[in-house]
Amino acid sequence: MRNPFLAIARTGIQTQRELFPDLPAEATGLPTVTAAPCSGCGECAAACPTQAVSISTDTQGPVVTLDRGRCLGCQLCVRACATGTITEDRSTRTATRTRSALMHSNRPQLIQSAPAPSRRFMRSLHIREVSTGDNASDLEVLASTNAIFDLARFGVHIVASPRYADALLVTGPVGRGMHDALFRCYDAMAEPRLVIAVGVSAISGGLFRDGYAEANGVPNDIPVAAYVPGDPPHPWSIIHGILLVMGHKCEPACNNDPLAGVIGVQN
Amino acid sequence: MTTTRVHHQIETTPFELSARTKALLTQPGMRYGHLTARSLDEARVAIDILLLDTAQGQPLLLTAPLEAGTCEYPALTPAIPAAHWAERMLGDFFGLHAVGHPRWKSLLLHDDRWPMALCPLAGAEQATLPRTPYRFLKVEGEGIHEIPVGPIHAGIIEPGHFRFSCLGEIVTNLEIRLGYQHRGIEKRLTEVPWHQSRFLAESASSDTAAGNALAHATAIEQLLGITPPSRAIALRTLALEIERLANHLGDMGALCGDIGYSPGAALFPPLRGAALALAQFLTGNRRQRWFIQPGGVVRDLDAARRRALLHGVTDLAKQAHEHLPLVLEHSGVLERMEGAGRLSPALARDFGIVGPAGRASGTRYDIRRHFVHAAYPALAPVPAHRETGDVLARAQIKAEEIGTSLDILTHVLETLPDSPIDILLPDRLPAHAVGIGIVEAWRGELIHWITTGEAGAITRYAIKDPSFNNWTGLAIAIRGNLVADFPLCNKSFNLSYSGNDM
Ligand code: SF4
Ligand code: SF4
Repeated sequence: MRNPFLAIARTGIQTQRELFPDLPAEATGLPTVTAAPCSGCGECAAACPTQAVSISTDTQGPVVTLDRGRCLGCQLCVRACATGTITEDRSTRTATRTRSALMHSNRPQLIQSAPAPSRRFMRSLHIREVSTGDNASDLEVLASTNAIFDLARFGVHIVASPRYADALLVTGPVGRGMHDALFRCYDAMAEPRLVIAVGVSAISGGLFRDGYAEANGVPNDIPVAAYVPGDPPHPWSIIHGILLVMGHKCEPACNNDPLAGVIGVQN
Repeated sequence: MTTTRVHHQIETTPFELSARTKALLTQPGMRYGHLTARSLDEARVAIDILLLDTAQGQPLLLTAPLEAGTCEYPALTPAIPAAHWAERMLGDFFGLHAVGHPRWKSLLLHDDRWPMALCPLAGAEQATLPRTPYRFLKVEGEGIHEIPVGPIHAGIIEPGHFRFSCLGEIVTNLEIRLGYQHRGIEKRLTEVPWHQSRFLAESASSDTAAGNALAHATAIEQLLGITPPSRAIALRTLALEIERLANHLGDMGALCGDIGYSPGAALFPPLRGAALALAQFLTGNRRQRWFIQPGGVVRDLDAARRRALLHGVTDLAKQAHEHLPLVLEHSGVLERMEGAGRLSPALARDFGIVGPAGRASGTRYDIRRHFVHAAYPALAPVPAHRETGDVLARAQIKAEEIGTSLDILTHVLETLPDSPIDILLPDRLPAHAVGIGIVEAWRGELIHWITTGEAGAITRYAIKDPSFNNWTGLAIAIRGNLVADFPLCNKSFNLSYSGNDM
């Protein structure tokens, strides 16, 4: 008789020790804008399927603005850019606490500052997931809970009811058919409550934006505490978004020493 | 060789449509594929039926134009039960009415959430009827009680509503109501420039990125009469099989989770992770997004990565073959799965159940044997096959397909041809043409059906996800089972809600 426990013992510990490792060389990340001078050719904007990139001019020359909140990560703009102004970025620490921080540009950005997150959930956060039309992101949320990424090591648990959830994690563009259910779920949560928008469709509607289905992402009347770009985001990026709302210091960059700066001691 | 095919198109009338279709379906190897409608101009609409001649590997189209001013036609469902949801979809999207449909009501556009007059795909001057409000089937009798579940479920899972009518703990009827995730994809696909339509087409069910992208690319290439280079075909095959492998491995773990067999639930997610790492190696990301495009693929596999990928496949094969028996030969697991959620071969046939669920219920149907896509039918495996139609049969089919996918991956990686990876596409699609991409995605038969109009613009884009057939299979399979067995039964089908809701 084969012994399943021997099989488990033989596979050893699967959990990644390094937190938020950069994506490996063979992977492609999200695009970003560098200081390399832009020629203003407009190829990137023409290539982008979601109008996430726009080009304008100011006194210093062409201005590139790239909105990761609308970006699919298809790399067409990176491939179109001959000057290296738009390049790929393999960081998995891509989540932000404000919508404007998703804007990348070759000019200093006006980034609204987000109020310092409360540290109330620093040690433990219970999350209710609501999916609204992007099942790849659901699978990546699920993957973040597996033995490799091990979301539970940060005191985070996915729970079955909004009644005992501290945070609501939304995937998908929230079309008209899901508005009501999402609001009811949000209303069922006790305060304080946090909302995390995971994936480009939850952030802006992505490809579905401005259609008759009104699938424009998490509606404006629900305040969002963290945005996780990508279509779908990498499990590490999802964990990044979750740790941000818990008040961990992992923005914009934390060192890779496990637990340092991530599992905070302050309370 | 080119993939262009002149489609056989039969024009008929709405009154003869049902009888003609039924007669054609008696031909050996002929299957019902999909039913939809298409605006001919602002006022007129035609019902379109797609039949699949599996013996010839050819689609066959039947078109029945409705007279201007009419929005009623005789329903096909009484003769062809598999069309029952598709006809209700015509009610929602085109404001048509299939007269004589046994359960006529709206399907995806819920009356309390969408304007009653909305018919998103109907022409501006087309005659329409408002949707028939939704009412759940009421099961009556002493002791019958209802359990409503959803749209939001307890796990990390898509939304949908399940209405169980039960006698004690036994399910007597399950009605599945979906549509919550309707995003208007088919309409949007006619609004975006065709060369950017692949992004939306791929997002029809984003957990099937390779399958949807391949169906889209195959349809576009058919319209253009082009064949992608041989290396691109091989790389597409890798993407399609890695997707099947990753999802089937994930399903094995999830089934163990629902049974409460923790060793299985612990062993399989890392294997799925390993399959996703292969995907990332090949395409640049775990979900193989934006890799397959009309004309080819977007990135090549250099020699070093090919070797690494082959090594990874060999490694994964070894682990999968070691771990699968731990589940499928475990007496406790077998006891739970055997006889649960049975779907009989006769009902599977009548309702056109496809993919692993169809093959578990006696259907010998695998698109890879019949229709040109990726390296098929040349590399088509012998379809896995069971007659019992229970959870165990579906699990065994998936386990076998894990094996065949691994074999196909090894074979393709060892024989990767040398050629460019894409070809340049013309600026326009041909006018008034039809392209149909049919793919064996990991859940089964996936169809992207594109019609162009004046100047080659896409005027109708219909997508049929395998789940669209199979949800009915789940509803039938759970009858007579314990409510508590529903999660296990549901997982053994593992259907897409968003692919169904469009
Ligand atoms: S990577 Fe993002 S910004 Fe660049 S073209 Fe694609 S969607 Fe647009
Ligand atoms: S960012 Fe690159 S592609 Fe875009 S306008 Fe500037 S130079 Fe051209």
